[in-house]
Amino acid sequence: MKGRGLRIYALAYLVFLYAPIALLPLFAFNESTIIAFPLKGFTTHWFAELSTIEALHGAVWTSLSIAVTSALLATVLGICAARAATRYRFPFKPGIMGLIMLPLVLPEIIVAVSLLVVVVQLFGLNLSRWTVIAAHTLICTPFCIAILNSSFGNLDASLEEAAVDLGETPASTFRLITLPLVMPGIISSLLISFTISLDEFIIAFFLTGTEPTLPVYIWGLLRFPQRLPVVMALGTILVALSICLLVVAEYFRRRGVARAGQEDHGGFL
Amino acid sequence: MNISHQPARRAIIELRDIEKHYGAYHALRGVSFDIREGEFFSLLGPSGCGKTTLLRTIAGFEDLSSGTLTLDGRDMEGVPANKRPTNMVFQSYAIFPHLSVAENVGFGLRRSGKLREEKAKLVGEALEMVGLSGYDARAAHALSGGQRQRVALARALILKPRVLLLDEPLSALDKKMREQMQVELMRLQRHVGITFILVTHDQEEALIMSDRIAVMFDGSIEQLDEPEVLYRRPNSKRVAQFIGVMNFLPGEAQGLSGGRLAVDVAGLGRAEIEPGQFSPDLDHGAVSVGIRPETMSLLFEGEADRARVASGTVREVVYYGDMTYYEIVLDGLDSHVTISMKNLVDRPVLDVGARTRVTWDARALVAFAA
Repeated sequence: MKGRGLRIYALAYLVFLYAPIALLPLFAFNESTIIAFPLKGFTTHWFAELSTIEALHGAVWTSLSIAVTSALLATVLGICAARAATRYRFPFKPGIMGLIMLPLVLPEIIVAVSLLVVVVQLFGLNLSRWTVIAAHTLICTPFCIAILNSSFGNLDASLEEAAVDLGETPASTFRLITLPLVMPGIISSLLISFTISLDEFIIAFFLTGTEPTLPVYIWGLLRFPQRLPVVMALGTILVALSICLLVVAEYFRRRGVARAGQEDHGGFL
Repeated sequence: MNISHQPARRAIIELRDIEKHYGAYHALRGVSFDIREGEFFSLLGPSGCGKTTLLRTIAGFEDLSSGTLTLDGRDMEGVPANKRPTNMVFQSYAIFPHLSVAENVGFGLRRSGKLREEKAKLVGEALEMVGLSGYDARAAHALSGGQRQRVALARALILKPRVLLLDEPLSALDKKMREQMQVELMRLQRHVGITFILVTHDQEEALIMSDRIAVMFDGSIEQLDEPEVLYRRPNSKRVAQFIGVMNFLPGEAQGLSGGRLAVDVAGLGRAEIEPGQFSPDLDHGAVSVGIRPETMSLLFEGEADRARVASGTVREVVYYGDMTYYEIVLDGLDSHVTISMKNLVDRPVLDVGARTRVTWDARALVAFAA
């Protein structure tokens, strides 16, 4: 059969990609405390146990508040940068935009270590929720700019001119025309940066103070083998949540493209 | 053509020595002219000639580098676009995609302080004016090109601007739709009596719709006239080339006689060019003589010789149905002239290579500096 090799390759690729993730729910619902085949019986016990761990609830709360705050900050910064990049001409624009996008490719461990040095040594600040928020905002902003650039770039400049021409001020034009039309991009940017912050481990591990974030807390759990099934259950919930968020983000991005009557030029999904 | 025979009306827009620089680029070079109240005025020129910049300057989207622009006698310096009594129809129509047709059309009324019912009535009237009654609730993105165009017109006219600015409004439409909208725009302009300023690169469109046309090249006005004058008596070779088709033949000016310029035209012989159809500084020496395809004609078998006849060979035949365009190489010339002939029932269409006789109306000749 033609293309047989390619089919096998595609299949192998998918298995490699998703088998580990598929194992999460498998063991999350497995009765045994030991992560090994053969499976014992079906149980929802590990999920139930999640609700009884106080420290876990604290970590979830810390992570959520960090993710929400960083997502908001990164998106606001992203809106400003994307707006500047698409509407205005200024000296050294390509260089400046390149520098802003750089954290996208910087190794997170380097960012984490240098931020730790800056925060503790240079400024002499205590590590706290806010240091993690600052760092997460830093790494999320390039993603937000990438998404919002496409939203603002797809926006026909004459739409804003038409509103001004019809008597609106630049401020009311932004509110009445620009914001509604880039809103899908903004929502998509919020969701993506929220997800990034929620998942992020290395930076949080270095910069977190006395309140660990969820990934840091999970890492701590790994020292106790008998807690592994609980981690599996937690992981299952997180994966499901992440997939939901990404799908919602992509939905809004596509709706934005369709609404502006533009052709779709890619995206995350 | 839409030539008005009213006495000259007062100027509504006065442009004086308008200059516009974008960095090193000189977009407008000393533009000065008046636009009269209630006229359909066109800015015509090739892309990059500055016509759109000039329109955007009037709208208030671009600042002037120098010069003055007055509207209704009021200096527009420092008056932002949202405070000017102008409204614009954009090339892309700029229909707000997240709003309905009625919300689009009524957008300009937001700040009018009118009651809801009053606004709804005005929106209804505006939609009726452009033939879109009953489309109020339609989503903007569900409209065809022609309908978007109408919504854009209704939206711009609802504020009863002193001047309506149209930036290549028909360029996105197909040929049939464009021709229909040209007629509708002219009718609409007469109906509302508002001054229209149209930017276009389509000379035919400008000739059809305008009361007066300003032809622009390289940031300045080359000629400003009524369509007929522009077509018959272009004042430069590039205006002649830009508007319609013009044949150019080399000639030798032999001096003036009785106000006419005597010229020895290659292929056509001696001719006298009417006053106003050559620039006053032409007298003796090399000139370029222009003649339109429809003012020349082929003489078919059995047609009597006229006073002016030349012979030539058919090089190319372009059949249009109602017309046929011939490229004829006149004997003794290297280049060809284009001649258009109406296709009458008893008139044959010649083949490439056929020999033919050519005659022309000497009154139509124009002369330019060579």
